[in-house]
Amino acid sequence: MAIATHTAPAYGLVHTGRLQVIGHSRRLAGRTVRSWFRQPWIEVTNVFIPHFFLAVGIAGFGFLADRGFGVSNYLGFLVPMAVLQIVAGPSSASGFAIVSDLQRGYFDKLLLTPASRWSIIFGRVAADGLRAVLYSSIVVAVALTFGSGVVAGVGGVLVLLLMAGLFGVAYSGVGIFIALRTASAEAAQASFMLFYPLLFMAPAYVPREIFSDWLRWIATVNPVTYMMEGMREIVLGDFAASAAVEDVGGSAAAIAEAAGNGWDPERVILAFVAIVGFGALTLSASAFALKRRAG
Amino acid sequence: MHYGEVHAVNGIDLRVATGQIFGFLGENGSGKTTTVRMLTTLLKPTAGAAEVGGFDVVSEADAVRQSIGVALQDAGLDPFQTGRELLRLSAQLYNVRGELIEDRISHLLDVINLSGDADRCVGEYSGGMQRRIDLAAALVHGPAIVFLDEPTTGLDPLSRQRLWEYIRRLNLVDGVTFFLTTQYLEEADQLCDEIAILDAGRIVLQDTPQALKDTVSDDVISFEVTAGDRQNAIDRVNALPLVESARGDGVSKVSVYTKSGTDAFPMIVRLLDDIAVSFDHLTLSHATLDDVFLEATGHRMDDTGQAVETDGSR
Repeated sequence: MAIATHTAPAYGLVHTGRLQVIGHSRRLAGRTVRSWFRQPWIEVTNVFIPHFFLAVGIAGFGFLADRGFGVSNYLGFLVPMAVLQIVAGPSSASGFAIVSDLQRGYFDKLLLTPASRWSIIFGRVAADGLRAVLYSSIVVAVALTFGSGVVAGVGGVLVLLLMAGLFGVAYSGVGIFIALRTASAEAAQASFMLFYPLLFMAPAYVPREIFSDWLRWIATVNPVTYMMEGMREIVLGDFAASAAVEDVGGSAAAIAEAAGNGWDPERVILAFVAIVGFGALTLSASAFALKRRAG
Repeated sequence: MHYGEVHAVNGIDLRVATGQIFGFLGENGSGKTTTVRMLTTLLKPTAGAAEVGGFDVVSEADAVRQSIGVALQDAGLDPFQTGRELLRLSAQLYNVRGELIEDRISHLLDVINLSGDADRCVGEYSGGMQRRIDLAAALVHGPAIVFLDEPTTGLDPLSRQRLWEYIRRLNLVDGVTFFLTTQYLEEADQLCDEIAILDAGRIVLQDTPQALKDTVSDDVISFEVTAGDRQNAIDRVNALPLVESARGDGVSKVSVYTKSGTDAFPMIVRLLDDIAVSFDHLTLSHATLDDVFLEATGHRMDDTGQAVETDGSR
């Protein structure tokens, strides 16, 4: 079977011979960002829910934190949980967006272009990474406003936002994988629910030292534990040290200094390793699913 | 191409010359869309080979994609982009030169008569408007070969005429090759240089529209039986001299094929009177592609692409 034996130049409209993956990914990321602005109610919900959990967590357990596990700055303790939550929710929604594209036929439209298949994934996860940084900034700003403080300072905040952005990219891969494998809106929506076991089997509300044995073992193999503890290290430093200083009536500066002295870069590195490892897994799975679907 | 045990397309062998408008006719489920999806690289054939623009659809899929424009049967759109944004993104993904993109978009919006709505979100468009913006997206990079899968389904008559004119202009002036599937036989007749009729995954006829029409009789006499034995009428009409064939068509209609309609017409009227068959809507016309389709497949196709069962015999 042969359809036309040669292709005429397309009126000089097209340039060829250049590597376009980055450019195409950027255009597709732009499309994703525009869609957020056109559905603002969804984004408002995405931002509101983690703050709601944050407020409820402080109101419910805050008074126990100091006596129970020596944390006086419980708001700061919960910031990593809120950051991971505010990142995972919208990032998992990428899967739903891809299912919508599949169902509307727009995914086929993208596959029909000469754009690299990978740019479809890169564009999506890059946008999710950007959103993760923006939303995490809101969490940090709220926490700072209500007196949490960040022991590692401005540089630490930037590192935390970088972690959040990378986690956004990584978790985006979960939704994308499920969407490409199932093409089911229900399954794609459920991808966020998968995050809750990971979140609550990590030291989200209390340190893992006070977990029961079986839960502590699960937390030890749960990558979210290391992400959370790395972020917490940036916000609280060695929170036990800071709590001790506060117990004897130390000033905010003294608390920060005490915590800063206990600042452990190893935990932050472990967090990056966990995020990158998790991302390598989810994005490889997404790439595999794309290959299966699109050839 | 097969899905499990089902052969969606089987043994299709065709060649479309550069600069042709080629029509692919067939009812729903005949294999048109599967063929288009294979030729546009969306589906890998399970056997056989195909080239588009001189490129193999499997081993040179990237080159095929850069050469073609495609508007699929269902307009695949993102409802959260405006019409202009959608065209701009398509142009960028097809590597259209940046300095030419806006002029190209304005030109296409003018052609499809959507300039005034270009900055509204596509989700707010009517079905016809979505169809038109989808077509513009297929043409934005000035492809040398364009696949249109039922391009005018859902369009109003005026939009359909405008699109036909634009296809003709692109074909005549720029030499663009078109491969279009359609369920509108009139569309195929008006636009196409060559037509293939597909039935159950196989090509049953392929030629120019005129040559195809020449394969059936010159004239068609049609009437609807309102009372009396229709099958008897068909059998008796079939036996008349000058009549090449007569067949039942739908519930009450009968179509009679003849080389000389003016001579056969009074004979048929007399015969129906003689056998006490009442009839209505008696017409004499030249053979159309609809008649060719009936001849080739044994059934007609309605406006939704569904087969309409017929009966009778030659």
